[in-house]
Amino acid sequence: MKEIMAVIRMNKMNETKNALSEAGYPSMLCKKVTGRGKKMINMDILEDLIEGKEIDNPHLIETITENNRFIAKRLIYLVVHDEDVKSVIDILIDVNQTGNMGDGKIFVCPVDDAIRVRTDEYGDLAI
Amino acid sequence: MKMIRAIVRPERASVILEELLDAGYPAVTKTDVVGRGKQRGIKVGNVRYDELQKEMLLLVVEDEEKDEVVKLISKNAKTGEGVYGDGKIFVTPVEDVYTISSGVQEL
Repeated sequence: MKEIMAVIRMNKMNETKNALSEAGYPSMLCKKVTGRGKKMINMDILEDLIEGKEIDNPHLIETITENNRFIAKRLIYLVVHDEDVKSVIDILIDVNQTGNMGDGKIFVCPVDDAIRVRTDEYGDLAI
Repeated sequence: MKMIRAIVRPERASVILEELLDAGYPAVTKTDVVGRGKQRGIKVGNVRYDELQKEMLLLVVEDEEKDEVVKLISKNAKTGEGVYGDGKIFVTPVEDVYTISSGVQEL
């Protein structure tokens, strides 16, 4: 079993949910979080903004505030079988990729055990 | 790679985040949580508060950077000798990291 944690944009949540449930991974847990990334502020874009020029790409506006200020993101958790990890990651990247900074990160962590509370099933049966 | 989850006092979070930025770890996710510790919350008069407001910082770093980050967080999260409620830091393994914007498998 593996736990997949993905930080994604707020506005991609519905698309991600639909894509995952169509592919047969309906169960997930999500949480509103705030985060910041690695990229530095792009001063050219800031100057353009101050001068009153319009920015065509809405994602760029999000990107320039990326560094010091925390911006709202969604954190989703999925626990899946080892063999499903690859396809879930492909779906997540496919749906959430816009090519700009701030699209998010995916982390894959090991899970020792899982328990279904309703039936007391353990391990792979519980997923 | 290691995932570091630090549960800290909300009033210390901004200091820690500033220090992390200066030390070269800008990428952090934070979220508000409530919880209680070994002291079973705080008792004020006859009322026991066992859902105390905390902030959870989540960051993923390379194995060799772990000690430095943990040291930095614990140094700045501390409020005094023997004071309860300063929080906990958990370190768990991470097997893979993908950046969605490029699809590349790296931190």
